[in-house]
Amino acid sequence: MGPPLIELRSVGKFFSDDFSLRDISMELLSGEVHVLIGQNGSGKTALMNAVCGIFRRDRGEILLDGREIDFGSVNEARGAGIVMQYQNPHLFDNLSVAENVFFRRIPRRARSIGRALDRYKLHEDCETLFSRFGIGISPETLVSQLGYTQRLVVSAAQTCIAEAKVIVFDEPTAGMTDPEREILFKIVREIRDRGVGVFYISHKLDEIGRIGDRVTVLNGGKVSASLPDGTVGREELIRMMTGGTCAERYPKLRVDYGPPILSVEHLRSGRVLEDVSFTLRKGEILGITGLMGSGRTRLANCLFGQTKPSGGSILVEGRQADFGHPSDALGRGVALIPEDRDTNAAFHNQDILQNISVAALERFRGPYGLDRRYMEELTDEYIASFGILPGHPGDIMRGYSGGNQQKVVVARWFMSLCKIFIMDEPTRGIDAAARIDIYNAMNDLVTKGASIILISSDLEEILGMCDRVLVLAGGRIACDLPRAQATSERILDYASN
Amino acid sequence: MFAIERINILKSYLRERGKLDVHSMSEMLSVSEVTVRRDLEKLEAEGFLTRLHGGAIIKGAEDSTPATGKDPDGAKEEADREEIARVAYLMVRNGDVLMLTNGPIVLRLARKLSGRAGVTVLTNDIQVALEVAGQAGNRAVLLGGSPDPESRALFGSLAQANVQTFFVNKIFVEADGISEQLQLTVSSQEKAALIKEALACAEDKIILCEAARFSRSAFYRLGPLSLARKVVTNTSLPAAYKARIFEMDIQLFTSVNAFEGGD
Repeated sequence: MGPPLIELRSVGKFFSDDFSLRDISMELLSGEVHVLIGQNGSGKTALMNAVCGIFRRDRGEILLDGREIDFGSVNEARGAGIVMQYQNPHLFDNLSVAENVFFRRIPRRARSIGRALDRYKLHEDCETLFSRFGIGISPETLVSQLGYTQRLVVSAAQTCIAEAKVIVFDEPTAGMTDPEREILFKIVREIRDRGVGVFYISHKLDEIGRIGDRVTVLNGGKVSASLPDGTVGREELIRMMTGGTCAERYPKLRVDYGPPILSVEHLRSGRVLEDVSFTLRKGEILGITGLMGSGRTRLANCLFGQTKPSGGSILVEGRQADFGHPSDALGRGVALIPEDRDTNAAFHNQDILQNISVAALERFRGPYGLDRRYMEELTDEYIASFGILPGHPGDIMRGYSGGNQQKVVVARWFMSLCKIFIMDEPTRGIDAAARIDIYNAMNDLVTKGASIILISSDLEEILGMCDRVLVLAGGRIACDLPRAQATSERILDYASN
Repeated sequence: MFAIERINILKSYLRERGKLDVHSMSEMLSVSEVTVRRDLEKLEAEGFLTRLHGGAIIKGAEDSTPATGKDPDGAKEEADREEIARVAYLMVRNGDVLMLTNGPIVLRLARKLSGRAGVTVLTNDIQVALEVAGQAGNRAVLLGGSPDPESRALFGSLAQANVQTFFVNKIFVEADGISEQLQLTVSSQEKAALIKEALACAEDKIILCEAARFSRSAFYRLGPLSLARKVVTNTSLPAAYKARIFEMDIQLFTSVNAFEGGD
């Protein structure tokens, strides 16, 4: 190991009152893997974005080889030798695997007109590279035919051959199975052995021991500890990650539960869900959490009829519920508020009236078509009750803030009169005021006898709002904790096992 | 978002509420404050509004209070109180021992308690005591003291001394105003003194206050909002207050009442 390759001195960046980077100092040596761990929202990715030129810091210094750097773009950073591997692979779907891997270093035929692509050499190079790591993907395959985790592997291979001094991996193994993780570790080790410095963002505590030379724990935008690997135990790390969480401020109304309304038995789906069983009771808020790629969203999609499970059964009010399509789920009173509002829920170019009423049109069926008047009056009532702003039914959705759009989407499923609400990350990325409105809307549901499955990676929110917490890990329910026994330490311990 | 869309939103907001403030508009529209101000300037030039410090009001509203929608003020106030009482009622469990200090929302809460059983209510409000005493299965205890004819409640040193002999698991206090600095205020000195004593004798402290009474101050200061762990108000509370209360680690319950399903 040599002198510091990168040095951060009191780096700070203000985003909002909820979230900012504060006074972060750390260093990265060449030929070392520096693991960054912390809960969601602790600032890991934001910090690396500041290093890689995605945004500029407000204060502090970042030195590369002893010289201060301040990149205005990712390309500038790449030019200086800092490369980031993002959580979601950015690949070209209509190009082959080999073309993607060598995209920046396409071999050209030496003396041909227009320096044509040397496809033969390209595939050969890719084959050689892949065999070194034991990657079993054919270089000729189109990327559009690959599964998510295969894309992750291809993307890592692409990063591997980049000419870089520093490589940042952002949760590269999220969603991967063990064999794929092994491949990734091989890639990271090879990069390290070339003398490149590696920042490695992870949620999985066991990866520190397997790949890391040093670990820094971030909590609330600050460094809570920076240590050589192996000097602290798992429990201590978890304590440093969770110190200062505050589940006390969540407006939780206690409700007496009724009988089970949804039962899931031995549910399986592909390689993502291995064996999932649980019950949801009437009036209950059941929290489901787990790391990225633990299968939370797949579970939600199975329950909503969007993905057909490969085994097991789902019962709604004691009756079999093999939903082949989301409309079947809605027919039985199951609603899903999806994780990605922009692509899966919001009609950006439609007005608020249409966005709220679209799932409840059946209710407005009149003798001469839609009963517009009733539809408008009811929508007005919902707008007022949810505090949707500015809240004119004719406003176009696109102009609304994220928080208000999310309230519109939640209101839509309220209006459809469902009984089971699956909410996948309902408050991610929205402001505190809208979050409070959504929590109170959840109270409104359960006090009137509906039930909620709250899928979230925000542990504070899970602890604050849920009656019971399930932790998904490795496609199974790792634990089922009643509210009184749930702590962020316990949840993280199960989730990262 | 296009400027024209933004301007339309600002206009419809103004038509609806009569006034707006720059800060919350910038949050709502996810644009900077200066962008909002520029839009307001344009709208002022069109003669649509009058700009004020930090906000604007719709043209012609300078000398009258802004319209609050379709309802006349009184009906709106009644509806807001009813909604808060409804949420407060959901917080009460069978067998609870409650302290209810006097006020119109609290009286509504007391009426709803007929839906619970085994509840003991300690109060200084004569109407509340009578209401609960008439409910089969619930019990009322009226504090002693000097009656105030206007609020029909008992205050004074006797009431304060009385309160100290009890311990309740929940207290509901109705604030008459909550200032911009989030200070609780009430209308009389006696009321403030009694509430202070009562808060010390309760485990779970809950403040009830209509959204319209935020940014208003009654005459006597009770202390910071953080005296309580929970606040119940209306959904229409401005976003900036919601965020600040959440930041203070106080549970903020709003009266969302939209779901028509269930039983």
